[in-house]
Amino acid sequence: MSFLLPKLTNKKEVDQVIKSTAEKVLVLRFGRDEDPVCLQLDDILSKTSSDLSKMAAIYLVDVDRTPVYTQYFDISYIPSTVFFFNGQHMKVDYGSPDHTKFVGSFKTKQDFIDLIEVIYRGAMRGKLIVQSPIDPKNIPKYDLLYQDI
Amino acid sequence: MTPAQRCPLCRQTFFCGRGHVYSRKHQRQLKAALERLLPQVEAARKAIRAAQVERYVPQHERCCWCLCCGCEVRKHLSHGNLTVLHGGLLEHLASPEHKKATNKFWWENKAEVQMKEKFLISPQEYARFKKSMVKGLDSYEEKEDKVIKEMAAQIREVEQSRQEVVRSVLEPQAVPDPEEGSSAPGSWKRTNSHVGSSSQQPSYLDLPPAPELDWMETGQPLTFIGHQDIPGVGNIHSGATPPWMVQDEEYVSENRQIGPSYEEFLKEKEKQKLKKLPPDRVGANFDHSSSTSAGWLPSFGRVWNNGRRWQSRHQFKTEAAARNKQQSHKEKS
Repeated sequence: MSFLLPKLTNKKEVDQVIKSTAEKVLVLRFGRDEDPVCLQLDDILSKTSSDLSKMAAIYLVDVDRTPVYTQYFDISYIPSTVFFFNGQHMKVDYGSPDHTKFVGSFKTKQDFIDLIEVIYRGAMRGKLIVQSPIDPKNIPKYDLLYQDI
Repeated sequence: MTPAQRCPLCRQTFFCGRGHVYSRKHQRQLKAALERLLPQVEAARKAIRAAQVERYVPQHERCCWCLCCGCEVRKHLSHGNLTVLHGGLLEHLASPEHKKATNKFWWENKAEVQMKEKFLISPQEYARFKKSMVKGLDSYEEKEDKVIKEMAAQIREVEQSRQEVVRSVLEPQAVPDPEEGSSAPGSWKRTNSHVGSSSQQPSYLDLPPAPELDWMETGQPLTFIGHQDIPGVGNIHSGATPPWMVQDEEYVSENRQIGPSYEEFLKEKEKQKLKKLPPDRVGANFDHSSSTSAGWLPSFGRVWNNGRRWQSRHQFKTEAAARNKQQSHKEKS
């Protein structure tokens, strides 16, 4: 499943992709290919990537190979999905503590498609943060610990 | 010829004079309207005995249409952040104006006399409702107090468990053994995350326990790859420059041209084209420089026709085909 989606292995490639994707939502999945929740997420991403090909470009990034990005986005749980549009980082309010990325896997393909559509529409209208259409029951819950507190 | 009169119930104008009211259609409309109103009145009547008091929710702003008076009446009586269900409607039904209007309505529309009583509320019943409302308010206050006490007890319990955890960890740390010292922070982290998850439970008290066991809780926990805070360097939350905006060293070595390159210029031209609509669409952003075919306009040129649009379209298409054939013939010869 993860071999169907393009992979990015170093910082330069990620930079390149962020700067060059135009008029499409850029989805970067940060995680490891062997992790079980990442496998679930990759499954959903690969199955929907062809339907969303005109609206979104999806890439997989290995957290161990790009420590700069892992540290910048404060990725403590994998998989984490970050969204961009025209080089601008898109924030989404999922009802979870962190709006900068989506932590965990989606429950259904439709959830992911709805989210991409909302991000696309919001970005086309010039918004930098959008409200997630996913039911809060389907958003994975996690504890956001900060410096051992 | 009798004058034209409008019947507000049937929402129609009729010329029969007083005969309209006895017609089947009018009686049918009347029956349907009363049937629509009856459940609301019945619900209000039930509330006389046992008035319910609830916390205010914007849904309580809903209004009910009173057929007899011809006005909108707020269904529930709300004050502050409490609502008495069906209070507003009861008040209106007990008022003398409503009684007069109901009598008038019954007389004018010739409705069944027995039904009239069902839509009226006597002042005695209204007084009874007021008494039960007071009782309802008291019981609501009691309920609220109970809930608050329960929540306080829960919070106290959690505080207790937290204190115990802190104490249990501080004791092993008092022994200055390097091995013990390294394992204690590890157990601290584990117990910390446990306390963190248990502290979230009081906030989920509002939900009934069943929905908590959805797939997200019982599914596999997410892999934790360690805290990403390196003290010197900032991250997205602290507003540092994003890594893709940071200038690399290799970039400096190229001789930089000022302004966009040729590829960027071409891309800009593409984007400008995107701003205009695609050639066959019609709208404000229409691209006037695009060329359109003869069949683009949806009018097919027949002005005095009486038939269907399809007819004129079909004729237009056959004529266009014949014209094209003629043209190709001419070109050939």
